Amino acid sequence: MKNPERDEQLDAKGASRRKFLRTTAAGVGAAAGVPAAAEAFDFETFFQKNFRSMSDEEIDELTDRLARKYEKKYGKPFDVQATGPVDNVVFGYGLDISRCIGCRRCVDACVQENNQSRDPEIQWIRVLEFERERVVRGFELEDGNPYYDHEQAPAEGMVYLPIACQHCEDSPCTNVCPTGATWEEPDGIVVIDYDWCIGCRYCMAACPYGARHFNWAEPNIPADEVNTNIHPLGNRPRGRGVVEKCSFCIQRVRDGRYPACHEACPVGARKFGNLLDPNSEISYLLKNKRTFVLKAELNTRPKFFYFYG
Amino acid sequence: MADDDPGEVGDQSQPGGLATWVVLGLAVVLVLGLLSLRCALGPDAARSYPSRTLPPEPLPVLLPPPEMNDEYMPCDDCHEGEPTNPTPRELEDDHEETVLAHGDLWCLRCHDTDQRDNLRLSNGTLVDFEDSWKLCTQCHGQRLEEWKAGVHGKRTGHWWGAKEYWTCVACHDPHSPVFKPIEPKPPPVRPSSITWKPRIEPEETDREEP
Repeated sequence: MKNPERDEQLDAKGASRRKFLRTTAAGVGAAAGVPAAAEAFDFETFFQKNFRSMSDEEIDELTDRLARKYEKKYGKPFDVQATGPVDNVVFGYGLDISRCIGCRRCVDACVQENNQSRDPEIQWIRVLEFERERVVRGFELEDGNPYYDHEQAPAEGMVYLPIACQHCEDSPCTNVCPTGATWEEPDGIVVIDYDWCIGCRYCMAACPYGARHFNWAEPNIPADEVNTNIHPLGNRPRGRGVVEKCSFCIQRVRDGRYPACHEACPVGARKFGNLLDPNSEISYLLKNKRTFVLKAELNTRPKFFYFYG
Repeated sequence: MADDDPGEVGDQSQPGGLATWVVLGLAVVLVLGLLSLRCALGPDAARSYPSRTLPPEPLPVLLPPPEMNDEYMPCDDCHEGEPTNPTPRELEDDHEETVLAHGDLWCLRCHDTDQRDNLRLSNGTLVDFEDSWKLCTQCHGQRLEEWKAGVHGKRTGHWWGAKEYWTCVACHDPHSPVFKPIEPKPPPVRPSSITWKPRIEPEETDREEP
């Protein structure tokens, strides 16, 4: 608690947890081990329940604790809201690949909104570039090039396919998580409890879309760029040793707002709404447009639909 | 690996074998400990969320076109009293730089011949520049349907709640409506060119770093 550098390292919950266990084992029992390790981590965080098991009071404690922690780290007040799902809402996303020009404005907006590490760099959205002629029979994700660097986009003869978490209904990533740290919320958003993630990266191996990203090092976000409106399951700053991914901007969409990438798209290729509402734009495009999902043969049932506008 | 096989390790009556057993035992204790922790605190009792609804939606706002250039507006500053030449021709003078690449349309197909500060629908109705979408959708009817449904064009604000509908000219230049290429944001760093170096204390380097 006294040493700020130590406090920063607390972010790596997985590491702290392992360290605790290692120390305990070496010290023949908790009595000898815990006092030595006590400086290195926060007991409340270590014994924190899984988000799904928390009572309302415990969630309030969590949001307060997170607000205090981030305020100390970034030197400005944080608004932490653990907003719950809305009744009769299941989110769906549509992306018009005949419109996308590959400008990566969505990637930029996502990084800003969701407090992604700038160095080392983590980007939840990848924009893949394909030769138009090669995608006539469908997108082979392996052919996509995320590293294109043109002066002007779109480049001649190229098409673009932005890809992030597909929020599958039968998500392989949540099925393999050994600690129950990732699950699908009632409104269809696949979320991660960043305090329960132990960094085993099974979910990354299971995800067929490469949507999950690992914090190999302590994330680095400039204090003047950090987004202070955060959700514990969404864009809160993560720590070293945890996996992170798109949450459909859970901090925005549960208040009725559009996700950040949706607002940033200069060509209006991104569509977002409630799949259960027959009048929503996402329902309209599912009814009236040619849509497809990526790797449909895996039967993961994504809620991210690509369409031809 | 042979060292991990309990049977073989057990046959060796060497101190190394004993150490392996101790390590294995500790590992089992660790795993059991983790499991019991998971059982104690795990998400078996899934959270039941309180019912929550959003307030009714207000009417959407039509986003007005971007500010027009004061130099050219209002049109009547120059055109008032000028005789009108309706013949399509090369644009000159102040309109020299206007690129007209919208099918084979000529100015007066949309702009009114006499009332230059208005647009004119094909049925003769005059409309303001702010309502230009009514003019565009005379030809682009399919787009109108999709725009009303929210599938063509852009919306900002709330998926449920106050939102702005971007009108045609908020995104498209009516004189040359096809989108022009723009400069993309920089590409992601390739794994092979990551420059990041570990900045952590030596005692913490118990895990693989890139």
